[in-house]
Amino acid sequence: MPQDRQSGTAADGRAAPPATAKAPACGLDARTVRDHRAISNLADDLLPALIAKLAASGLGEIEVREGGWKARLRKPSGADDRRAAGRSSVDGHSVHAHGPGRGPAASLTHTAAEERDRLTRDEEEAEESANLPIVATSPAVGVYHPRKDLSVGMRVRAGDRLGAVDVLGVREDVVAPVDGVIGLSLAEAGEAVEYGQELIRIELPENSRSVEINGADREAAAVLGEA
Amino acid sequence: MFSKILIANRGEIALRILRACRTLDIGAVVAYSEADRDSLAAQLADEAICIGPADARRSYLSAPAVISAAVVTGCDAIHPGYGFLSEDAGFADVVRAHGLTFVGPPAEVLERFASKEATRRLLEAHGLRTIPGSRMLRDEAHALEEADRIGYPVLIKPSAGGGGKGMRLIRTARELESTFKVSRSEAKAGFGDDSLYLEKYLDDNRHVEVQVAVDRFGNAIHMGERDCSVQRRHQKIIEETPSPALTDAARQELCSRAVRAVVEAGYENLGTLEFLVDAKGDAYFIEINCRIQVEHPITEMCTGIDMVAMQIKIAAGEPLGMTQADVVSEGHAIEFRILAEDPATDFRPQAGQVLGYLAPGGPGVRMDTHIYPGYEVPSYYDSLLGKLSVWAPDRAQAIARGDAALRELLVDGLSTNIELHRAILANEVFIDGKVTTNLLDRVGSAPFVAAGNR
Repeated sequence: MPQDRQSGTAADGRAAPPATAKAPACGLDARTVRDHRAISNLADDLLPALIAKLAASGLGEIEVREGGWKARLRKPSGADDRRAAGRSSVDGHSVHAHGPGRGPAASLTHTAAEERDRLTRDEEEAEESANLPIVATSPAVGVYHPRKDLSVGMRVRAGDRLGAVDVLGVREDVVAPVDGVIGLSLAEAGEAVEYGQELIRIELPENSRSVEINGADREAAAVLGEA
Repeated sequence: MFSKILIANRGEIALRILRACRTLDIGAVVAYSEADRDSLAAQLADEAICIGPADARRSYLSAPAVISAAVVTGCDAIHPGYGFLSEDAGFADVVRAHGLTFVGPPAEVLERFASKEATRRLLEAHGLRTIPGSRMLRDEAHALEEADRIGYPVLIKPSAGGGGKGMRLIRTARELESTFKVSRSEAKAGFGDDSLYLEKYLDDNRHVEVQVAVDRFGNAIHMGERDCSVQRRHQKIIEETPSPALTDAARQELCSRAVRAVVEAGYENLGTLEFLVDAKGDAYFIEINCRIQVEHPITEMCTGIDMVAMQIKIAAGEPLGMTQADVVSEGHAIEFRILAEDPATDFRPQAGQVLGYLAPGGPGVRMDTHIYPGYEVPSYYDSLLGKLSVWAPDRAQAIARGDAALRELLVDGLSTNIELHRAILANEVFIDGKVTTNLLDRVGSAPFVAAGNR
């Protein structure tokens, strides 16, 4: 029984209890307003910046979360040539910038109605995830080998190789999803890691915009201050 | 015996394999895609590992991802379930090259039975009657010539296909001319192989399949047959055993012949030989499935054999430990595939959240499912929500238990085909045991549901 159907990437929601009850109608308007504000912010400010960043980087995909919202940009596979030429990663897998808050996040492609249904649970997570830094994740299941010269506080550019995951002898690159500063390591060298596992925190530089980025920045400053 | 098995599949079968591992006291790791993080198998497993994104090509169909997951979690075997990599000889070979065991036929056996057309010729040589058909088609002219020889109507089939995918019914030479190129490109796109062949189409046929098991030492048994004639667009939706289409003598003859043929042809592990049975009761071999099948529970209910455990033991090199005389099939069992499909929109597959779920119970009732209240059915895979199987001492009682269980089964939040099942059970043609594979499509599934609601 062939089970293969068209692909996509699902919101990852282990922690969140699925919300079955609909929000009362009175609360909905306020949410809709916030909703629209979030969409405008993503569309007017964040997306153009992300598009520019994606074009300039060697990345195939960028994802950024803001509150309960998530924007993901992906280059069509044909646009990968430059990247493929310059990298050992062969099958063009994407790079995710997951916030560690594992909530079901709304994607911009959902309809407004779906969004409202999801909003109840997203909001619960909004508070947390707004202040969380961006993380470089594992591109595959295998054994993790960070770059030897990696150290906390080091500046990296989006697309920089931070290490690799060894998949049966083939190394798949772990790359920085955004420009930033190396933060905490979340996995040890030689550790078995799964797909999407969080490996290295990336703190963002000060001139970045958006709620999430400002939040992360504060943490970056804190980390650097300690170091 | 193995110490730890990686389960490289999803849905109800991942759970079924997990259960078999626990029964055998073997460790198990559930490999899941990002879309299946909340699946019941991933939750119930002692160990679970994310192998890739929702896209099956980069998770369940990715040999490196699956094997790497097995290596880093310290497994010594991989169970592929059904679909995905379960009959991929290349995958089985790479699994072995990494010092792991593929739970299924060895790579060279899968290779030998990989081509349907070659398999038909091989088993024909070992005494199975096959449907008149063509060799691989060279081009359109060759196809027309072969169709003339076989006689219309014919089916055009991709050699690498399965489950009815990509095959078309052709009634005239004109239709063949207009279809040939399309079929070829569809086969290429769907299976990466554009080989096509023709087969004579039997208008009113029944689908009967024989379950066999062969160990490494050539010991073999059959576990009777299953009738899978209730189909929608070539997809099985109800299966039962024994088949109402066969007399006891015909059943004995067919099953013994089938098991003898596969042993002689060098088969190993669990396998299912599919036959079309025509109105006269003649059985024609069409293909072999080298894996555990969706509909295995009804055979388990009648024989009392844990077939997944048997499959694992054979793969581990253990002897069958039983002979044909030890296989006793009792009573009658029926399986209903519960699908997330909306009868109102021509059975379009549904995705979404299961708001409520209640499993039926009572004597002889079995439910194999991965859903639970709150579970989000992902849109990336097939629409199978679970399998309801019932057993009773005879067919009439099995039908009654089936209907009672279907009435009790509650799946809230998604449209399902439960009502279609009830309508089929109430239909005279089904009650008489005379359903042919084309019945639902000829009458239309919607009228069936409507008739059932009266």
